[in-house]
Amino acid sequence: MAINRKQFLHGLMLGTGGAAIAANLGFISTGLYNNKSIKAIVIDFDKCAGCRTCETICSANNHPVNIAGLQLKGLGNPELSNIRVWHYNPPADVPVTCYLCADAPCVEACPVKPHPETGRKALYRDETLQTIWNDRDRCIGCQSCANACKEQRGGVIFPDEEGSPTSMCTLCGGDPQCILHCPYEALSYLEITDSMPLRNLSPDLLAQKLYEKYYEQKSN
Amino acid sequence: MYGVNGKILEVNLSTGVITKKMPDDKYYRQYLGGRGLGMRLLFDYLPHPGIDANDPSNPLMFMPGFFCGFPFPSMSRSCMVTKSPITAPKHKKYPNASTVSYSNMGGFIGPEIKYAGYDGIVFVGQSKQPVYLFVEDEQVELRDATKFWGMGTNAFDKAIIDEVGDRRFESAYIGSGAEKGVRFGSVINTAARAAGRGGTGYVMGTKKLKAIVVRGSGMPDVFDHAAYLSLLDKSRLAFGADSESKTNWRYGGTANALQFSSDRGSQAVKNYSEGTFAGIENINAHAARKQVWKRDFACFSCQLACKKSGFAKGAYGGVVHEGIEYETGTMLGANLLIDNLNGLHTLIEAADDYGIDIITLGNVIGFLMECYEKKLIDASYLDGIALVWGDVDAALQMVHKIGRYEGVGAKAARGVKFLADDIGQGSADFAIHVKGHELAAWNVQGYAKSFGISYTTANRGACHMTGGEINGQHQSALRDTLGACSFASSWYKGDLHYRHFIQVLNGIELSEEEFNLIGERVFNLERMLNCREGFIREDDMLPERFFKDAYTSGPQQGVVLDRDEFVTMMDDYYTKRGWDLKTAIPETATLEKLDLAFVGI
Repeated sequence: MAINRKQFLHGLMLGTGGAAIAANLGFISTGLYNNKSIKAIVIDFDKCAGCRTCETICSANNHPVNIAGLQLKGLGNPELSNIRVWHYNPPADVPVTCYLCADAPCVEACPVKPHPETGRKALYRDETLQTIWNDRDRCIGCQSCANACKEQRGGVIFPDEEGSPTSMCTLCGGDPQCILHCPYEALSYLEITDSMPLRNLSPDLLAQKLYEKYYEQKSN
Repeated sequence: MYGVNGKILEVNLSTGVITKKMPDDKYYRQYLGGRGLGMRLLFDYLPHPGIDANDPSNPLMFMPGFFCGFPFPSMSRSCMVTKSPITAPKHKKYPNASTVSYSNMGGFIGPEIKYAGYDGIVFVGQSKQPVYLFVEDEQVELRDATKFWGMGTNAFDKAIIDEVGDRRFESAYIGSGAEKGVRFGSVINTAARAAGRGGTGYVMGTKKLKAIVVRGSGMPDVFDHAAYLSLLDKSRLAFGADSESKTNWRYGGTANALQFSSDRGSQAVKNYSEGTFAGIENINAHAARKQVWKRDFACFSCQLACKKSGFAKGAYGGVVHEGIEYETGTMLGANLLIDNLNGLHTLIEAADDYGIDIITLGNVIGFLMECYEKKLIDASYLDGIALVWGDVDAALQMVHKIGRYEGVGAKAARGVKFLADDIGQGSADFAIHVKGHELAAWNVQGYAKSFGISYTTANRGACHMTGGEINGQHQSALRDTLGACSFASSWYKGDLHYRHFIQVLNGIELSEEEFNLIGERVFNLERMLNCREGFIREDDMLPERFFKDAYTSGPQQGVVLDRDEFVTMMDDYYTKRGWDLKTAIPETATLEKLDLAFVGI
């Protein structure tokens, strides 16, 4: 049986912090995937006020409900969101969502053999928007993808009770709703370039950089 | 029931027994949540008047507002409810008579309690060892907090995340001040947001409860899903449309009021002896923006971001903490004649770290500064501190004395009424409290009709959030009941009136009159709880200073509140309320109208 969510988070936020930071420091964020540039949610940390409106928007849009035959947006339970705002002390808010990494360590880590026809592992990249998806029927619940993301990138993949990955950004089918509703205009949907230094990092490391920037502090 | 969890968590700290209780549907219909539901439960938990606030049977409640957890903008506040450890009537019917107490805080803790599946958490009893309550949905445990006892709020805020190992947990806690016995101990979350007033943190300390730590994954279902979505969209859009108010809140938060209040002569200055502060430009929002503030922060699903984090360099620099607000900036700034912004920032950080109410703290230090200036006390009374106006270091030493409950600090930790009794020599005239609870940063001369009435009639003792006008008092009680932030109330009008939100969540259809009646019910229930403790009209009295001392400068210069005018004002208030003119106790007809006949005296 999979480790539970809490144990997973413990590793994410504390246990492997040192390793995650070291792995992240040498990472070059930009790149092309199959000669196509990558467009993803980009966060302006100077603007974010930590209100978590994005979480409720993401949750409502990506988890619709059926009410009397009508498909409606969900209530917005932040638990179901694919974007997460981590609060830190000294005060810093760190929204993190799937970076759609060009080298996708999560897909790399998936041990399921590529399908003979589609060439897809259980975890695969959608060729249109380049978002990451999981084929539940083929997923074995090993959590290799979640661990790879946690150890090498932002730790945005969360295993569900069966160990299957959740919380990968869907870009709402190409029209990301979080960026429309962010009251602080902290989110944008942009092509990834080299001038975006705070990408592909773990929340802990991002917080560290924000402490240095705002409060001239080396540690929390 | 829709829109609520229908469950209250009851934790007995003496026995360790944890129970999930389901309040009667009628409680929700008549009191909704937050402060209202808390007060109704308080009546049930206090079987008779005169119970000591220190007694294990005094309940301490964390009550998220009715709207908490639903992402409507600016509706994430929760209310602490208990019996006050601070207030007392002039003539005691019971040795431990005190008013009700409640105190609000924003942040994320209210929504998280709702997500965990509860409409409130009630603590009764008293633990032998320090404990904290761990809640993760259905999993609820009391855990040892011995290693956290004595820890400041800032260190604890970080340590508890290490302890539970998940940054998504939300917590609320007390500091070492409340643990040691500071009566005005507050409950803090995110190291800076405070349920400051009324001593709720002190009561938490008497129970040896360091913190609650909560994580939830659920959400109550709503009555009308489609209408809910439509109201959610409309309310978000409405905030976008009024960009001027929004910009103002973001720019300065409540600190915008520092300059405004000083300019119109309504600020607490020099222990309330003046209404205008000459040094205001050194500590106002513009100065803070320039010198101290680094970031803006918002509560859950709020578009205003009135909270700031600050960091300054130079003298008193190097401290990272929430920036000044109107109340903290006035009470530790203008009221003490301190206009050193970095020094003020340091004072605020120290007080929040001890977890003590800065409004009362500013009163206590201001009162002692005045006593020292008038030579009613000398430095030996103050453990050697030369407590002169405007001295940051002296004020900081006093904060530490109080926070550590040492020497003169142990006296000051009991508030200005206690100090005035101790010092005597007529100092009671300028001990600024009503019913033993100190006034806030809005001064009275020239504003007696608004703030004077607010202070005298507020049910937790002097309170600036109650309002001076009767319907305003009901709206204030309703906001505390709903978890709605008063700074955002101007957006919730017309099609976006709060009652429409209640309807889509719960299905209760309320006319505006019926809605207002809930506020009136909550306010009168609190009043009745106070009346049965022995509070009567004579307790609704302003400090003597306001009938004697005029300001020497500013727009309210020379104004002194007239005693007869005050009596007429109060007569008018009681009459409109349907309260007896002589005793100020609600009339039977008033209670029957509000379905409160069950509360006897």
